[in-house]
Amino acid sequence: MYGFDAISDNNGWFIAAIGVSIVFTGLIVLSLVIAQLHKVLALVEKLTSKSEKIPEPKPDIRIPPADPNDVETAVQVFTPLIEELSSEFQLSELYALAKEYHLPHPHLSIRCLLESGRLQPLGDGVFVFVPNCQE
Amino acid sequence: MEMILEFIESTGFANADVPSLVMMAIALFLLYLGIAKKYEPLLLVPISFGMLLVNFPLSPLMISPDNGQPGGLLYYLYMGIELGIYPPLIFLGIGALTDFGPLISNPKTLLLGAAAQVGIFITFLGALAFGFSPQEAGAIGIIGGADGPTAIYLTSMMAPHLLGAVSVAAYSYMALVPIIQPPIMRALTTQKERAVVMEELREVSKTERILFPIVVIVITGLFLPAALPLLGMLMLGNLFRECGVTDRLSKASQNELNNIIVIFLGLTVGAKASAEYFLTVQTIQIIVLGLVAFAIGTASGVLMGKLMCKLTGGKVNPLIGAAGVSAVPMAARVCQTVGREANPSNFLLMYAMGPNVAGVIGSAIAAGIFLALLN
Repeated sequence: MYGFDAISDNNGWFIAAIGVSIVFTGLIVLSLVIAQLHKVLALVEKLTSKSEKIPEPKPDIRIPPADPNDVETAVQVFTPLIEELSSEFQLSELYALAKEYHLPHPHLSIRCLLESGRLQPLGDGVFVFVPNCQE
Repeated sequence: MEMILEFIESTGFANADVPSLVMMAIALFLLYLGIAKKYEPLLLVPISFGMLLVNFPLSPLMISPDNGQPGGLLYYLYMGIELGIYPPLIFLGIGALTDFGPLISNPKTLLLGAAAQVGIFITFLGALAFGFSPQEAGAIGIIGGADGPTAIYLTSMMAPHLLGAVSVAAYSYMALVPIIQPPIMRALTTQKERAVVMEELREVSKTERILFPIVVIVITGLFLPAALPLLGMLMLGNLFRECGVTDRLSKASQNELNNIIVIFLGLTVGAKASAEYFLTVQTIQIIVLGLVAFAIGTASGVLMGKLMCKLTGGKVNPLIGAAGVSAVPMAARVCQTVGREANPSNFLLMYAMGPNVAGVIGSAIAAGIFLALLN
């Protein structure tokens, strides 16, 4: 049997409709729960934190006025960060560290380092830092 | 003289037939694509080599035990697929390798992952219309999920005779993502939409990262227990990665275990592609339907992206919807490339990783649905 007859005979329409509905329902529920997760955690933290907060010492990273397209500035700002990572690292790790230190324009600066050859890909998403690369 | 004749009769030359030689030629071509063109080499090389080994005339590698004689090496290794062991273990490695941060910080991208699974179910209907059985149609439709281990798992459970064709189609299309997806993405979006710059993702806390796999498995496990083997291992691998106290297990899942299973899986999937199963009209139909599934999945993801773009007042770049078909991280890289063509300062990779990993969850759920409804 072929064509629409085969689909109807095998309950194809029903299975496809149910399948799409379950995928959407499942992922929508997941999406809603995950969207609330950080709010619930913040609430729990607020309720449970009774002790006085000790302010975190600010990291000793001096941020010069940032022009994300200036390679030398980007090298200067990112060198101490990269030293905190292993010699071979992923861009997501560097990005996370840049965010932690509140560096301005992390995406643009990392792209600038990539395009200038200061970050060399080793494959599989792993990079190495070459501070003195000749363009 | 008789011994020499017997020896000659036992050689591959004396027993060669056209279908086996054709399969060996196909295996060598796939080997070339894997090595020279670097099309998914980690899987295509063992798959094509397994295909080559099993198609030699009188190859003993896949024979089953008989009269007290042990079976072939690949026969025993194939038990890992037949019993549904290898694909979940691959998922363990994928979970340990995957950063779900972009998805946690932007959970609405799960909808893009869901939309991209529409191709699976439309192709399921197409395969039924071609005369395939419901189980075969489910196995063919899942190619649209662009998730190799899921396709192998579902096919081995529902239509093991199609395993060779389905896995070759699935991995070929995953390798061809950069060729298949961009025309569809460009056709369905305007220049203005492709140039949309998205808001920066919020930072995700360590606690959220630890809770994520637990929340996902509790919800999906209750919704669809049939998806537990794949999703359970995926989330266990991710928990190893994120909990901070199982680094050794995380590294073993990412490297040693994953690599060993990839070798076993690839070899035995290829070994299932013998001439009698592979050189059929069905294989051509599967390859065509697989492409349709993939194209529809990409299109539905982009269309959902367009809808979200409209509803959010232009805050979502519709291109990231195309990453909902899984194929991690190739599909996300394609979004980045196409996005930068429209706006060179755009950086979509991190945003596209959200729907990309959502697609992995979505396709595993789709596989669970087929298993629950059809098996």
